[in-house]
Amino acid sequence: MRKHLFYSILFFVCLILLVSCGRQTVKSGKETILKIGTTKDGLRSASILGDSYLAGFAQLSNPPLMTMNRQGIIEGLLVKAYETSDDNTVWTFHLDPNLYWSDGVPVSPKDVKFTVELYGSEVPYARWIREILKEAWVAADHAVVFELNKPYSRLDFDFSTYNLLPQHIWEKIEDPIRYTNMGVNIGCGPFYIEKIDLNAGLILFRKNPFWKGQQPEIQAIGLHIYNNKDVLAMALEKGEVDTYYRYASSYPYSNLKRLEETGNFDFIDEPHLSLKFLGFNLKKKPMSEFNFREAVSYTINYEELIKLDLLGYGEIPNTGFLPRVMPNFKETPPLRFNPEKAKNILIRAGYTDSNGNGIREDLNGNDLRLSILISKDYLRLAELVRDYLRELDIQVGLKVVDANTWINLKDEYKYDLVISRTSPWGMFMHANWATGYFDSRRTGEGVLHTVDDPEFLRLCDDILSTTDETRLEVYAHKVQDYYAQNLPAIALYWNRIVIPYQKKFSGWSPNPLYGIYNIKNFLNLRIINQ
Amino acid sequence: MFRVYCFVVFISKKKILRYLLALFIIFSLNFILPRAMPGDPLTNLLGEEYILSEAALQELRSELGLDKPLTFQYLEYWKGIVRFDLGYSYHFNQKVISLILSRMKWTLALLVPSIILGAILGTILGALSGWKRNAVPNKAMTWAFLAVYSSPPYFLGIILLYIFAFKWGLFPFKGFYETGTIIDILQHLFLPVLIMSAFAASRNYMIMRGSVIIEKEKLYVVYARAKGLLGDSILFRHIFKNAILPVLTLVALDFGFLLSGALFVEIIFSMNGMGTLIYEALLSRDYPVLQGCFLIITIMVIGANLIVDVLYSIIDPRVREKG
Repeated sequence: MRKHLFYSILFFVCLILLVSCGRQTVKSGKETILKIGTTKDGLRSASILGDSYLAGFAQLSNPPLMTMNRQGIIEGLLVKAYETSDDNTVWTFHLDPNLYWSDGVPVSPKDVKFTVELYGSEVPYARWIREILKEAWVAADHAVVFELNKPYSRLDFDFSTYNLLPQHIWEKIEDPIRYTNMGVNIGCGPFYIEKIDLNAGLILFRKNPFWKGQQPEIQAIGLHIYNNKDVLAMALEKGEVDTYYRYASSYPYSNLKRLEETGNFDFIDEPHLSLKFLGFNLKKKPMSEFNFREAVSYTINYEELIKLDLLGYGEIPNTGFLPRVMPNFKETPPLRFNPEKAKNILIRAGYTDSNGNGIREDLNGNDLRLSILISKDYLRLAELVRDYLRELDIQVGLKVVDANTWINLKDEYKYDLVISRTSPWGMFMHANWATGYFDSRRTGEGVLHTVDDPEFLRLCDDILSTTDETRLEVYAHKVQDYYAQNLPAIALYWNRIVIPYQKKFSGWSPNPLYGIYNIKNFLNLRIINQ
Repeated sequence: MFRVYCFVVFISKKKILRYLLALFIIFSLNFILPRAMPGDPLTNLLGEEYILSEAALQELRSELGLDKPLTFQYLEYWKGIVRFDLGYSYHFNQKVISLILSRMKWTLALLVPSIILGAILGTILGALSGWKRNAVPNKAMTWAFLAVYSSPPYFLGIILLYIFAFKWGLFPFKGFYETGTIIDILQHLFLPVLIMSAFAASRNYMIMRGSVIIEKEKLYVVYARAKGLLGDSILFRHIFKNAILPVLTLVALDFGFLLSGALFVEIIFSMNGMGTLIYEALLSRDYPVLQGCFLIITIMVIGANLIVDVLYSIIDPRVREKG
């Protein structure tokens, strides 16, 4: 028996050596492939229409009509010009005539009309199009016209997210929302999708031979999908991938030093649009009282949060909520850490500990016991904020739930405080300048919809009714003044986004909306050592 | 053999009714539990901000079948089970049955070798260790297996990845394959199978060792020694099959829970198996996928229990005689 055991162990060792030798990889030859490491997040299927995460990645192959430039301004990507009527009910987009699908068929305005109507009829998060689109038609000068049944000033922004689809392929598909394709997907961008293999954790893009625009130096882009950030960090350091991308997220700050020490990486380091904030349930007291919110703003140690949560990669925010990198930013008073002032504000407002039990009472004489509703991603941040609030003799607990439950409780206003984050897209949605998070007439995953102040709602409506840049700037400043004077939420910090990349690549040009994952970035990339 | 056959028939008639009742109750719970969770399947489909009218929202609810009364949904659920139509997942954009089958094959590739290796290694080494528990190598083995069993699988996974993939570059970081050849798949599966096997072996080792320590004090062992049998022969010809019974139950349950996957290992090694499928379906409240997965797991576990009952009666004559 022992002899059998010995031979079994020997066999096992030989098996290890055999399997581990000659690790098999895809040979790239002389082709330059940019390998991007990303995390799986919500990516679930090979359906461009049905999977919003895949749709985001697919913008390389099926670009949207519009894009955002480095300054945060919407401009044409596939569109060379566009205009809107004075009342913003008729939008005309002039398509670039030099666009071709990767099968050689020219891109036509009919593709644009088809795509928009398809999104409106089939895609859950785009059904609003069907509700406001009166008619669409192809016009002269390679244009497509959209007539809306009511004024809407943000159509250009919305068209920066929907992938253009080839009508000659998709009109034959019986059930587009259920259609999945793990092989070649025809696209009109500088790259097309060659394969989607979720079991291998790979989406591969190949250069579009019919792309007539600026030619990229890289021949292919491989999107390598990891379920775990720590393993992705190891793979990046090892050189298995060239850079890191995750929508609206920096590379983990704690891992940056290791990469620096290898000497193989450079870093993109820029202020970021998205931020984390403490939100108030304005439907409940005492959160509905401005004095209370103001006191809370003075009790948060912003410097400590930046040191502990960002490792220094951030700055103390202003009361105006919006970060400096936001277009039409206005300088408003900064948020300050002053716990003594916070206590004085509460005392003057009538929040005292009259019974001496160490807990302040609200204006009805009840102990102030609040909870912060969070998902697990914000646990440490919430613990710190809780501790700051406890310094004010307010009993605070944490309620940690999964994302779906968080949304449900938030929408039903079953919370006191929340900690959450804005996304770059979210900062621009609705009436821009983060209004989408507060307007009570809106809803959605991360949207608080707590402000029903007529002044704020009127401001949102004014923004939505115009495309005049001068007036919009005035409104943008008024929005920030409103945030500063009313504090519907408190930005906890303005963070920087840091993205490492292998030194053999240069010419990175991220945009505020999608970071490095934008077409112009990949067209501008240069390879230093071929 | 005829007596065994009669006993098997007898046990099947009596137990099948009980198992059918258990299936009915579990299938019903399978319907109720996902719907008892707070949250809404529509939430994740609609995104960060949706500007839909009430009519449009109702239309979407209707498409997903969420506007029907619960009793109607329950009856539709049973109709689906009978037809083996598990529905469609709007989050994964696939028929549930196709989705489960595509994930199942990889989970089987990961877990079947792990369970088998874990069973063989754990029982044999555990038996040897229990037989001569004071030998230094056996003591060292016990400590080693205890350390493995006490460590979370994801911790072991990260350590192995760090050594074998990051430091030595011998194995890949992610996925079930890269090129798709047999060797390539083996390279990708090696580390996760190693962890799962080690984990299973350590548990089986502990139980088998304890079981052998108890069995070797019994009278039949003394008799075997008196007859003239040598050490290892007594262990593997007599003690082993008595001591293995508790491990057998656990191994059978391992097969039963096979299709629940290995979530932590799948996360560390970036593998799309049943574990991540169930986890993602849970987070997005994907009722059809949750129902489909739990249905199959239920059938497997109940089936495994039934097989263990039959195996017990074959291996252990005391169980047959009592029956």
